[in-house]
Amino acid sequence: MDVFGSFALLLAFLCAVYAFVGGIAAIRTRHPLLIKSARQAGIATCALIFLATGTLVYLFFSDSYWVAYVVAHSNRDLSNFYKVAALWSGQEGSLLFWSFLLSIYIFSVLIAYRHKNGELMPYVGVVLAGVQIFFLTLNNFVASPFKVLGVAGAHGTFDIFTRADGNGLTPLLQYPEMVIHPPNLYSGYTGFTIPFAFALGALLARYPGEKWIHLTRKWTMIAWCFQTVGILLGAHWAYAVLGWGGYWSWDPVENASLLPWLTGTAFLHSVMMQEKRGMMKVWNVWLVFTTFLLCILGTLLTRSGVVSSVHAFARSSIGGWFVGFLIVIFVVCFAAYAKNSDYLKSENRLDSIVSRESSFLFNNLILLVSCIAVLSGTLFPVFSEWLSNSRISVGAPFFNKVNVPIGLFLLFLTGVGPLLAWRRTSTESLKRNFGWPLIIGILTGVTLLIFGIREMFSLVCFSLCAFVTATIGMEFFRGARVIRSRSGASLFSSAVDLTMRNTRRYGGYIVHMGMVFIFIGLAGSAFNHDTQKEVKIGDSMRIGPYSLVLQSFDSIPEKNYTSERMIVEVMRDNKPLMMLYPERRFFQTNEQSGTMVAIYSTLREDLYVVYAGQSPETQLPVIHAYLNPLVKWIWLGGLVVVLGTIVTLLPNRRAVLVLSAAEQRADAAAVAQSLAPSATFREGHD
Amino acid sequence: MTKRRLSARIFLFCALPLCVTALRATVARADDQPDRTHRIGKKLKCMCGGCNDTAATCYHVGGNFSGPCGVATGMLKEIDQQIDRGDSDDLILQFFTQKYGSVVNIEPPHTGIGRIAWAMPVVYLVVGTLLVFFIIDRWRRRSAAVAFAGAPGEHVSPELLEHARQRVARETED
Repeated sequence: MDVFGSFALLLAFLCAVYAFVGGIAAIRTRHPLLIKSARQAGIATCALIFLATGTLVYLFFSDSYWVAYVVAHSNRDLSNFYKVAALWSGQEGSLLFWSFLLSIYIFSVLIAYRHKNGELMPYVGVVLAGVQIFFLTLNNFVASPFKVLGVAGAHGTFDIFTRADGNGLTPLLQYPEMVIHPPNLYSGYTGFTIPFAFALGALLARYPGEKWIHLTRKWTMIAWCFQTVGILLGAHWAYAVLGWGGYWSWDPVENASLLPWLTGTAFLHSVMMQEKRGMMKVWNVWLVFTTFLLCILGTLLTRSGVVSSVHAFARSSIGGWFVGFLIVIFVVCFAAYAKNSDYLKSENRLDSIVSRESSFLFNNLILLVSCIAVLSGTLFPVFSEWLSNSRISVGAPFFNKVNVPIGLFLLFLTGVGPLLAWRRTSTESLKRNFGWPLIIGILTGVTLLIFGIREMFSLVCFSLCAFVTATIGMEFFRGARVIRSRSGASLFSSAVDLTMRNTRRYGGYIVHMGMVFIFIGLAGSAFNHDTQKEVKIGDSMRIGPYSLVLQSFDSIPEKNYTSERMIVEVMRDNKPLMMLYPERRFFQTNEQSGTMVAIYSTLREDLYVVYAGQSPETQLPVIHAYLNPLVKWIWLGGLVVVLGTIVTLLPNRRAVLVLSAAEQRADAAAVAQSLAPSATFREGHD
Repeated sequence: MTKRRLSARIFLFCALPLCVTALRATVARADDQPDRTHRIGKKLKCMCGGCNDTAATCYHVGGNFSGPCGVATGMLKEIDQQIDRGDSDDLILQFFTQKYGSVVNIEPPHTGIGRIAWAMPVVYLVVGTLLVFFIIDRWRRRSAAVAFAGAPGEHVSPELLEHARQRVARETED
C-alpha cells in the first residue's frame, strides 16, 4: 500500500505540472480543448491526493509498522479515533494533510466554476496548480510520508524491516479537540489560497469589475471562519490540557496563526469599500496577497525552529523551501501588480470623515498595526541576536501591553462602524444611533467602578462591550419592530425574519456580537487567581468561594497509559457541589506524560483544578487550583461567530406579498382596494 | 414605543446582565494578589529552552512531559530562597540576569536595543494614522473637486442619470 500511496503522490505531482504548464499554454493559445484538459488535470491532481491521503490513513488503521511515519506516530494500543489525528501529528503527514485540504478547496472551485467565468478560470487554475506543485514537491521529494524502514541486505539489496509496534502518538495530541483543531486551522490556512488565486488571476487576466470579489467572498468567509474556529479550538485545547490555567501565551506558533486572521479580517471589511464604492482596489489585492504570504510565513515559523516555540513537534530543516516559496510568490505578485497596476485604478473619493468609509480605513489601520506589531515582536529575538549578539526575549507581557489598547479601539469601531452611513453621517443620525448606547456604556463603566473594579483596561473593555451590545441590540430591535408592526409576528420571529432578509448585514452583527463575548472573556483574565497546596486525603483548600476536599488519590492502569487520578470534592458555602477528577497520564510506549485538567465551568467563572504531581519532599499529591472569571464567554463567543458566519453565507430571503384566503376569493377590484391594510409577508428565496 | 422605553429595554436585556455577570465574577477577587514568587516568576522567561513561557507558567509542551516544567520549578525555588534571604524584587531579577543573560527577562528591556522593540508598535500606529489622515484628506479634496465640476446647470444625460441611480441603489443596499 505504501507503494500505491507514493505512486499516487508522484502522479499527482505530474498532473499538477501539466495543469500548470498546460494552463499557461491554454491562456496563450485560447484553445478550448487545452483549457479543458488543464482543468481536468487539476481535478485529477486533487483526486490522486485524496487517494494518497486515504492510503496513509489505511496504513495507520492496519498497523503497518514498516512505514517510518506510522512507526513514529502510532502504536497498536492507540484507539482508532486518535489514529486519524496521527495523520497530521508529524511533519510529513501534516504536509500531506495540507495538500489534502487544499485539494478539497481546489476540487470544489474547479467543479463549481467549470462552466462559468471562462476568461478568468484558466488563470485561477494556473495559480492553484502552482501552489499545489510546491506542496507536492515537498510531499514527494522532501518529506514523503511513505518512506519505509529497511536494512541493507547481504547482496546490496534493500530489505524492508517491520517493527512489532510503533512509538505511539504524543500524549498532548491524545485529546478529542486535537482531532478537530488542526483540520480547522489548516482549513483556514489553505482556504485563503482560493481568494489569493482569484485575486492574482483577475489581476493577470485584467478581469473587469469587482466580479472576482463577489466570486471569492464566500470562500474568504469560509476560510476566515475555519481560521477563527481553529484558533479558538487551539486556545481551548491549551486551556484544557496543558494545565497552566491560560489559553493564549503568545507563543510564536500561536502568533503565526493570528497573523493571516488579522489581515483576513481587514480584507473582509475593506472589500465592502470596493463592492459599494469601487474604492481601494490596490489595497484589497495586496491584502489578499499578504494574507496568503502570512499563511506561508506562519508555516515557515512553525516548522523552521527559527524562533523558540512550545510546538517543538513541528521543528525541521524544511524552512528553506518555504523561504524560497515566499520569495517566488512575492516576486510573482509584485510583477503582476507592476504590469497591471493601471487595471486597479479606482475612483477613491470621500465626502466626510464621519462615514462608513473612514471607519473601514481605521479598522484596517488597527488590524494591520496589530498584525505588524505581533509579527515584529515574534521575530524581534532573532533580529536582536543579529544586531547585538544578545538574544532579547519578547514574551506575553509585551504582546499584552501592545495589543490590549489596539483591541479596545477595534472593539469601539465594532460598535461605531456599522451604524455610520456611507458617504456622510449627519449629526442627527449620530445622536439617534449612538446617544443611548454611549450612555449605557458610560453607566456600565461607572457602576463597575463604584463596585470596586480598578483594572483600567478591563473596565474600559466592559464599558465598550455594553456600548457595542446596545448598538447591535438597537439595530435588531428597530428593524424587528417595523416588521412586527406589519406582520403581527412576535418580536423574536420578526428579528429572525429581519436577519434572513439581509443575511450579510445581520449575520455580520451576530459575528460582532460573538466578538463582544470573546472580549468579555478576555477582560476577565485580569482577575485570574490561583493557589497551590500539598494535600492528604481528607484535607481541604480554599479558593474564592470554593473549598476543595481531596477524597482519594490512586493509580489506575488503562489500555494505553497509566493514570494518576485524584477525586476532589468541590464545596460551596459548606454544601457539596460536585466531584472533579484531575489526573496525569503516563504513556508507557513513549515514556511521556500528559495532564488532564478538571474544570467546573460557569458563565461567571471557571474553577480549574490541576493535579500538579507529588511533592519531592513529602510525596504528597499537590493540587494547583485556579479561579478564572468569565472564560466561558470566549468559547461561547466562538460559537456565536460561527453562527453569524453561517448566516452571512445564506442567501437573502425576499419579502413577497401574499394575499389572505378571504382576499383570494374576492374579485380583483376588491383585492386592489384591500391590498394595503391586510397584506401579509411571506418569504421566498432568491 | 418611545425612544426612552426602547433604550431602557435594550439596557435591561443586553447590558445589565453583562454588567451583573462582570461584577459578580470580578469584584470578589479584586483584592486577591498572586504571591510574590509567582509575581517575580512571571517577569522571567523559563530557561528550559523549549518554550517562550514564564518561569511561573511554563508547562513545557512538546517536551518529554507535560506538567509543571522542572526548570521553571527550579527557578521558582531559587526565587523563594532569595525572598527568604530578604532580597528585593529588583535584586532577584538582577541575579537572574547575571546568571542567564538578558534573555531571561520576559519583556525587552527599556534600554539599548530593547527600546526598538517598544518603539516599533508606536511608530507603526503613528505612521499608519498619519497615512490614513493623509488618504482621507486626499480623497475629500478629490470629492470636493468632482462636486465643483458637476455644479448645477450642467446637462445630465439619461445614461448618466441611470448610471447614478444604479450606483445609489448599490451603495445604499447593505
